[in-house]
Amino acid sequence: MNLARLPKGQGNLSVLPVRRTRWIAAIVGLWLVLLLALAAWWTTLVFQQAQRIVELEAAMGNVGDALVRWERTRLMLVGESSFFLFLLLALSAGLAWLYWRENLRARSMQAFFASVTHELRTPLTSIRLQAEAIAEGEQRAELAQRLLEDSHRLELQIDRTLELARIEGGGPLAEQAIPLHSWLERVAADICAVYEERIDLEVQLDPQLPAIQADSAAVQMILRNLVENSVNHANVSPVRVQLAARANGGEVSLDYQDNGRGVEGDVQQLGRLFGRGAASRGTGIGLYLVRALMERMGGRVQFHSVPGSGLRVLLHFKAAQD
Amino acid sequence: MGARILIVEDERNVAETLAERLSAAGYEVRLADSAAAARRAIEGPALQLLLLDVGLPDGNGFDLAGELRARQPAAAVIFLTARGNPEDRVRGLELGADDYLTKPFHFRELLLRIQNCLKRAQDLAQLPGEMRGTVRIGRARVDFERFAAEVNGVWQPLTHKECAVLRLLASRAGKAVSRDEILDRAWSADEFPTSRTVDNFIVRLRKLVEENAADPQVIRSIRGVGYLLTEIARD
Repeated sequence: MNLARLPKGQGNLSVLPVRRTRWIAAIVGLWLVLLLALAAWWTTLVFQQAQRIVELEAAMGNVGDALVRWERTRLMLVGESSFFLFLLLALSAGLAWLYWRENLRARSMQAFFASVTHELRTPLTSIRLQAEAIAEGEQRAELAQRLLEDSHRLELQIDRTLELARIEGGGPLAEQAIPLHSWLERVAADICAVYEERIDLEVQLDPQLPAIQADSAAVQMILRNLVENSVNHANVSPVRVQLAARANGGEVSLDYQDNGRGVEGDVQQLGRLFGRGAASRGTGIGLYLVRALMERMGGRVQFHSVPGSGLRVLLHFKAAQD
Repeated sequence: MGARILIVEDERNVAETLAERLSAAGYEVRLADSAAAARRAIEGPALQLLLLDVGLPDGNGFDLAGELRARQPAAAVIFLTARGNPEDRVRGLELGADDYLTKPFHFRELLLRIQNCLKRAQDLAQLPGEMRGTVRIGRARVDFERFAAEVNGVWQPLTHKECAVLRLLASRAGKAVSRDEILDRAWSADEFPTSRTVDNFIVRLRKLVEENAADPQVIRSIRGVGYLLTEIARD
């Protein structure tokens, strides 16, 4: 996996939103200029009026009081207009920041939908090709096997998208004590059944390992995403994956290691939303879900990689209370 | 054995199924799952068609097309892609792709488009006597058989579309050729090129043959009609 910098330039942005964005920027800029001009005009006008009053008082023979009053008025006006200007600038900066954030978010969403569409269309193409071959009378086990693989890929993609929506919407997790040793063996068997000859999964867990406090569906999603990532990006087939775990204080750490080509670039970019490799494959939500789900369960995740020596992911779960 | 086709596709299931079905249809098929593998595969025997996925793990199909075309100029190019937006489609066609197919597609549709592309490539390879060898068009020496042109001592590859447009204009030198006729002859009915696509090709051809592309004397625009080629000579 080769990591690209994010998120500018992601995907293919259509022309219309960029035009709309420019219009919004132009309107906001114009509004700011008008507001500042109005503030300057108001300040000048008030100064002029105050000065005129003071001059009138001086003309009436009360020069000493008039000068004192003028000095007080001047200080008050300078203080008030500075405060007003500061508020105006702070408000404008806040609006500009919100606008920039929304703009970035809109671009990311567009890139996300473009890549999700890509990820759905590709297995759909394969499914259609296999189905057409079967409809024309071909009866080979490979066709059925490919149909299964592609339908699994579609299913994972849909699950990921729904999970992302759930997490972003603050949906609840059902945490419970999970005895990792027996539970993980069943999950590993399910994963092997899906990926068959493309993965060589080895689980080495101590039967005495304490249970973890986690949502079992979320942990399954985390493991499925890690395995999918390894199968797609490791560049070896079958990819060898080793799972080990150890207890450490109030934590149980699950150590995931593959023997792929690892990650080029900043490994800390992994797990960022819509962060994708330089290649066009992937939606950039798989490893984000790993990080987000771990954090929602009160755990944390660490990615380690040296190019050419595989990807290592440490998942630190809370240990369940006895 | 039918035409030799190179499929450059990183999705294993799509690639293998396409290879099996195209082999069953009588084509000789080779597979490459990355840009690097495609560069290696192109060194082998001559290919008649390249089926290129746009999104590859180690590169972009659009860039790869130019590279492969430079080594196998006679090969037609069809892009297969999950990107269906109009900008990508226009980009693919302007790069000289012979066709552009959005995933998911029907195999029969792909087969039909392959047959059409191969037929057009075959027609393009059948040169009338006056177009054989090299011909001089403006400042360029054009070799239609090698899909290449030489300007100032440097040879550069031409795409099939560029060759088809230039040949059409050359075969009717001194007479205006309408945009509609250019579209009919160089593009297939299902490619939906725009008049902007034709104009962009003319701009590129002018850069090739004109001394001053801003003041074209070799490929002239005929207002309301199309284009006219003024200079052609046997080299």
